[in-house]
Amino acid sequence: MRADLAARAHTDGGRSSSDPLTLAESEARYRGLLEAAPDAMVVVDLAGHIVLLNVQAEQQFGYRRDELLGQPVKNIIPEGFAERLIADDLRSDADALAQHIGTGLELVALRKDGTEFPIELMLSPLASAGEVLITAAIRDITVRRASETLVARMEAARVLADQALRASEARYRLLLEAAPDSMVVVNQRGDIVLLNVQAERQFGYPRDELVGQPMTNIVPDGFAERLVADALRSEEEARAQEIGTGIELVGRRKDGTEFPIEIMLSPLTSPEGLLVTAAMRDISVRKAVEQELLDKVAALRVSNQELEEFAYVASHDLQEPLRMVSSYTQLLGKRYKGRLDADADDFIDFAVDGAARMQRLIADLLSYSRVGTKGRALGPTPSHTALLQALLNLRSAIEESGATVEHGQLPMVMGDPMQLEQLFQNLVGNALKYRSAAPPRISVSAVRGDQRADPEAPWTFAVTDNGIGIDAEYHERIFGMFQRLHGRDEFAGTGIGLAIARKIAERHGGSISVESQPGAGSTFRFTLRPTSDST
Amino acid sequence: MTDVRPDAGMHVLLVDDSPGDVRLTREAFRDAGAAITLHVAADGVEAIAFLERADANGLAPRPDLILLDLNLPRMDGREVLARIKSDPALRTIPTVILTTSGAPADVARCYELQANCYLIKPVQLDRFESLVESVNDFWLTKARLPQQPDPG
Repeated sequence: MRADLAARAHTDGGRSSSDPLTLAESEARYRGLLEAAPDAMVVVDLAGHIVLLNVQAEQQFGYRRDELLGQPVKNIIPEGFAERLIADDLRSDADALAQHIGTGLELVALRKDGTEFPIELMLSPLASAGEVLITAAIRDITVRRASETLVARMEAARVLADQALRASEARYRLLLEAAPDSMVVVNQRGDIVLLNVQAERQFGYPRDELVGQPMTNIVPDGFAERLVADALRSEEEARAQEIGTGIELVGRRKDGTEFPIEIMLSPLTSPEGLLVTAAMRDISVRKAVEQELLDKVAALRVSNQELEEFAYVASHDLQEPLRMVSSYTQLLGKRYKGRLDADADDFIDFAVDGAARMQRLIADLLSYSRVGTKGRALGPTPSHTALLQALLNLRSAIEESGATVEHGQLPMVMGDPMQLEQLFQNLVGNALKYRSAAPPRISVSAVRGDQRADPEAPWTFAVTDNGIGIDAEYHERIFGMFQRLHGRDEFAGTGIGLAIARKIAERHGGSISVESQPGAGSTFRFTLRPTSDST
Repeated sequence: MTDVRPDAGMHVLLVDDSPGDVRLTREAFRDAGAAITLHVAADGVEAIAFLERADANGLAPRPDLILLDLNLPRMDGREVLARIKSDPALRTIPTVILTTSGAPADVARCYELQANCYLIKPVQLDRFESLVESVNDFWLTKARLPQQPDPG
């Protein structure tokens, strides 16, 4: 129909009997219509010259009417309009016009000041006296274009975001499935949103029986509580507290059986809000191994204790018959020495000496086993007092040997006072006993380890002497039970002193060692734990 | 129940299950020159029986001193001590614990039960001998003991 109109407009020309108006008449009539239109209106002839325009057009393009009348329409619409009016070689004018009339063209308009703006152009034919004119309604679409652009951008962004989300979801799903652990994604209500095959297998449910179900179905206790903030904590705090830490909980399979799991929570932001990914690992085996280890340690502790008690009871009960042997051989010696022959006297001497040595061994064995069985709980103990008491016990040996013992103030440590006293007594006693020709010079000191590196850094005590020293070859052996480096006629004793010292140090969570060279004295060092407030 | 010196005035009841210790104690009293009669009970039941005989009808002499070991068969020394000290007729007899146990709990328990003295048997013979000599010197010589009730 549009084509019909156009054809008519074109071919009827001035001969049309139905439209006998002159240009002036039609112009006058038409001007009223033009001015009433909301858009800028320009009437153009087929040569592309402006024949008529309204005030809106004047305003929109910034020209006065007389500056536009008779001028080429290209002045205000540089491209796309005039070309459409003028037929090219292949089309008739009517065809060209017919193609464009009635359709909104989006073009660019040019104001007098040279600025451009987007327009929509609606063309319609206007039959006028003897010639074809075209009415162009021109609408500034700056605002519409801008909003269109915005919408387009938003749409593009949405599409991109959508793709990204879908891609990340897909990626996430892949990751879930690739994970070695059971993975379950849970929303803030504690319902399962997503899970992987491993989770299906581990809990014995097909996927669709879990999605949408509460997480408590498979982790009955401790999980939901960690997701939902309690009244005292904000959600963020609750999450921050739990996310990223492995928690040990119990998992429940569909068949009701339970197994220990370790859960790692991590946050996951999604279009549905914040989700939580729970990675769960079956730690049955690890738990079993841990338990086995604990059982073994407990069994070892029991057997160790039994052994110590055995040593204690055995040595205690051995004392009685030995006391009889010892007492009666001594009584024999006392009553019959010199009244039998010389052999009898020798035999009695050997028996008395052997019994006496055995008594010392048993007594030492008893004190060794007492370190483990009769020790008191460790508590804050002044090591200074323990040393002073030990020196008091050794007073006669110190005086006899002419020894000097130097020491500063010693610290508070975690210890058993009686055992610390014995430790000092054994070490200082050793220094007195294994002295060189010079009078013994003994010093006792303590230094604290670097507390910046380790706040619990132990105290290291040193007992230094100027005695005969010990060959490096024996530095370890001397701490063994009944280890002696010298003949009995040289130095008395059973060789238990340092073994007891080591056992005491170890019972206190410390260690003991020696630094020494023959002829250059010895330094025995042992460590003790600090009290919580010692400096 | 051998009398060291049949006519001696002092009677001592030694409660000990070890014949070796009994003999050693007897020898030590002899070496100390003690004028005593040493009676021996090998366990707690025998000790109580001896004391009851002495108390009831004078069939046994009432001891001037009891030397009591702690670890005894049948009835142990702690129970014997408790019985003696809860019996108005026996509680005045000085009862000295003579044992190898040095456990603080034993020492405390015995004094709670009103033991008159707690002595640990020394391991060395000479020290054991001197301990017995001290007992003789203090309890049987220097200390004034309650009058023997007339067994009539």
